[in-house]
Amino acid sequence: MSALEVRLGPLTLRNPITTASGTFGYGLEFADFVDLAKIGGLCTKGLSLKPHAGNAPPRICETPAGMLNAIGLQNVGVEEFVTEKLPKLRELRATVIANVWGDLEEDYVTVVRALEGAEGIAAVELNISCPNVQRGGMLFGNSPDATRSLVSQVRAATERPLIVKLSPNAPDLVESARAARDAGADILSLVNTFVGMVIDPETAKPRTSFGTGGLSGPAIRPLAVRMVYQVHKALPDTPLMGIGGISDLSDVLEFLAAGATAVQVGTANFKDPGVSGRLVGELAGYCEWKKTTVAALVGRAHRAATKVGGEAGAEG
Amino acid sequence: MKADHRATLLRRHFFSHGLFSVTFRCPDLAAAVLPGQFAMVEVPDRMRPYLRRAYSVADSNPRGGEIELLIKTIGPGTATLEVLPEGSTVRLLGPLGNSFSVGDLGSGSRVAIVAGGIGAAPFPLLLAALRAASVNCDLYLGGRNARELSIRTRFDGLVPGETILSSDDGSLGEKGFVTEALRRRFDAGSRYARVFACGPMPMFAALAGVVGDAGVPAEFSTEADMGCGFGACLGCVIPGTEKAFLVSCSEGPILAPEKIAWNRL
Repeated sequence: MSALEVRLGPLTLRNPITTASGTFGYGLEFADFVDLAKIGGLCTKGLSLKPHAGNAPPRICETPAGMLNAIGLQNVGVEEFVTEKLPKLRELRATVIANVWGDLEEDYVTVVRALEGAEGIAAVELNISCPNVQRGGMLFGNSPDATRSLVSQVRAATERPLIVKLSPNAPDLVESARAARDAGADILSLVNTFVGMVIDPETAKPRTSFGTGGLSGPAIRPLAVRMVYQVHKALPDTPLMGIGGISDLSDVLEFLAAGATAVQVGTANFKDPGVSGRLVGELAGYCEWKKTTVAALVGRAHRAATKVGGEAGAEG
Repeated sequence: MKADHRATLLRRHFFSHGLFSVTFRCPDLAAAVLPGQFAMVEVPDRMRPYLRRAYSVADSNPRGGEIELLIKTIGPGTATLEVLPEGSTVRLLGPLGNSFSVGDLGSGSRVAIVAGGIGAAPFPLLLAALRAASVNCDLYLGGRNARELSIRTRFDGLVPGETILSSDDGSLGEKGFVTEALRRRFDAGSRYARVFACGPMPMFAALAGVVGDAGVPAEFSTEADMGCGFGACLGCVIPGTEKAFLVSCSEGPILAPEKIAWNRL
């Protein structure tokens, strides 16, 4: 086992650097900038049963150290993904994590079933946390009962490692995490974007046509680190993929320390399309220098003898 | 092939306050770029602006390894480039997007370029390509006022045909929108094999009507806020007629007006 290899329950990745859904296209858009065979894996754009057009523009808007997006899950649909994109990803030897969403429980199950026969998919990630659609998405993630019901149905439909991507907008993230795990999730990824809003001060209109959008980028990193820390503390045996504003090596180390076994690089891919490949090299250099393994770096913040505010229930 | 290039800022030239050109040493990009293509510029180690900004490549000099951008100061991205010290290193991701079509124009044919304000940016490179193909060209350059038209000096000696200036306030050239200046020429019998245009969306919407009425094919260099510039974020879509949305960065930025659903903008 190499110093970089990580095991997340049934899923083994060659290294912990993966890319987040919605920030990496279908992977192929990045082939000029990243050797897809070198990164730990890539999460596809969220796939639905039928092609989906997404929201009207304007869809994105820059924010301090980040961005707001309301793309609305535009995608080519699962069929075109399997016939057009997946063969090319196989040729490039990419580790593919298929991100899936739907309006209804049946839609998720049907998409997952459509992927079952396809070769070259390492895991399935359920998007129950997109804030930019009227139905589905976040509605499943914000209620533990809805999460439990959806995840157990999808669990029955696939043999593949099952990742559930949690919403930071859920009223109680730990409860949502527990619901997903109890219903059969092998791995939890967190967090998706935070619901945000930007208003043009002159026109007084929202800067996205959807009205709100999902906030991502370095601006959310401390919020995401806290959430990964919290969920790892409550569910120490459940493997986590940390997401939120990861742009450089120190960010990766921070999420590993908080309890993530792997990470997903998101918005930074837009700014710097080669960042994921470079992080793999930097992490390898770090492990060599420190004579350590990635696995040994996971959860270090919990082993450090510091008391974290709020753990004793002393909030506010 | 598109790549993330390191580039050095060589010099800056001001046409007027807030309207300037920057020239970078970036040999690989200079050798590869086609008229109408763009680059995503990043000034490293900054959180503001956080995302890169898209700029049309205004001109390239492959022998000297230089590329030039024309810029109007609007927000934090353009303001950074206005003050960045010469000798600074930036990153240029490119060349990106499709390009203006020149190859199918016959030698001796006549085309028009219509530019609104800083929409003049991609045209020095296109004019060089037209000249190489022996295509005649008139330049319609519009702006809000004489100051915005100060960029006209960049086109001195580049336009084989006529240069028609117009300003909204009438302080220089014909008074009114540049699209109306073109309409008057069409009404007077001018004919063009193609119209190339770049400018703000309201100009495009008006121009789509003018070229449509005249039955002249056109290529518009569109602009929408881009997150990535290479088709990954899907942030820069424009409503389309043949499909719901066109991705401006990867399916454009050059789009034919009939592909754009003007009523859904």
